[in-house]
Amino acid sequence: MSSRDQFDEKLERLVGQALREQPPRRAPASLEARVLVEIAARARLPWWRRGIASWPAAVRAPVIAGCAVCVPLVWIASVWLATRLVSVVRHPGNTGPLASVRDTGRAIASLGTLAIHIGQSIPREWLLGGLIATATLYAALFALVALGYSLLYPRTEYSKAQLT
Amino acid sequence: MRAYQDMVFSTAVRLTANPAQAEDISQEVFLRAYESFDNLRSSPKAGGWLKTVCTNLTLNHLTRHRKRWRLFSEVFSDDTRDEELESATAVFDTVFAELETDERSALIGQALERLPDHQRIPLVLYHYEEMPYQDIADRLGISLAKVKTDILRGRVAMAALLAPSGFGAPAARRRAPSPNPGAQP
Repeated sequence: MSSRDQFDEKLERLVGQALREQPPRRAPASLEARVLVEIAARARLPWWRRGIASWPAAVRAPVIAGCAVCVPLVWIASVWLATRLVSVVRHPGNTGPLASVRDTGRAIASLGTLAIHIGQSIPREWLLGGLIATATLYAALFALVALGYSLLYPRTEYSKAQLT
Repeated sequence: MRAYQDMVFSTAVRLTANPAQAEDISQEVFLRAYESFDNLRSSPKAGGWLKTVCTNLTLNHLTRHRKRWRLFSEVFSDDTRDEELESATAVFDTVFAELETDERSALIGQALERLPDHQRIPLVLYHYEEMPYQDIADRLGISLAKVKTDILRGRVAMAALLAPSGFGAPAARRRAPSPNPGAQP
């Protein structure tokens, strides 16, 4: 072992010993009061302003289910819209209310056909891209909800002045 | 809460070197503990849980300002000379030989608070939290070599900060870092 290594090792031991013998720092007297005030403030909040984990189960389940079906609905709506646009472009005169119902029926029917042939006709790269797009949509939805929540209900900061 | 508040506050203040920030972080730790009160009430691991949550929250807080101190960490290479190591070791030897525990603790605590973030944080994680070098590197998002360098330079810098108090050789005094702008007296 070189002299540098010896000094390095000894210095590590001495610094470690010096730091470990440091007594704990006394917490400020205001800390306990701050925590209690914040707990009381959070307890006064209505359930819909708390974290989703503390929401009533009867509310939480539909919200989660709603978010879960949100992305498939966006896909379906996108396909319907694309089909409708194609229909309008190809048959510009055929745009009455019955035509809309017919086109919607055809779009839903084509979705079934699409699902059957999706594994055969779409390249795997496209499927992967679709999965990534779906995950991105879910992430965007989550970020949007989190951003909206933080903007609408910013956290309350309690200063020492408020406690005295 | 009273049984753990000093431990939680100490953990936060050693990493941040800022009592106001440490108090904010401690408050958040106890609020999370309150949310998990049913699980923690009878758990013998409550102290460890609080310490872990406090360390994670503090590091998350510090990581938000990481660019400031990470830059310094990445720029400088390990140019610690042999005589500086020897001098730093001599300083700590003298501190242990000549000072009583209380006085020594006060001086060491002040020196630790005055270290720049990029040296103090890995040093505290290594010596207080007993985290391995690799874990510190992963947690702080810096290279293993830089963690080792920063910790070594932190020890030498602590000795340099103790040197003006009359301990050690002149070589240590030359390496005294500028006071940490984030630290409060």
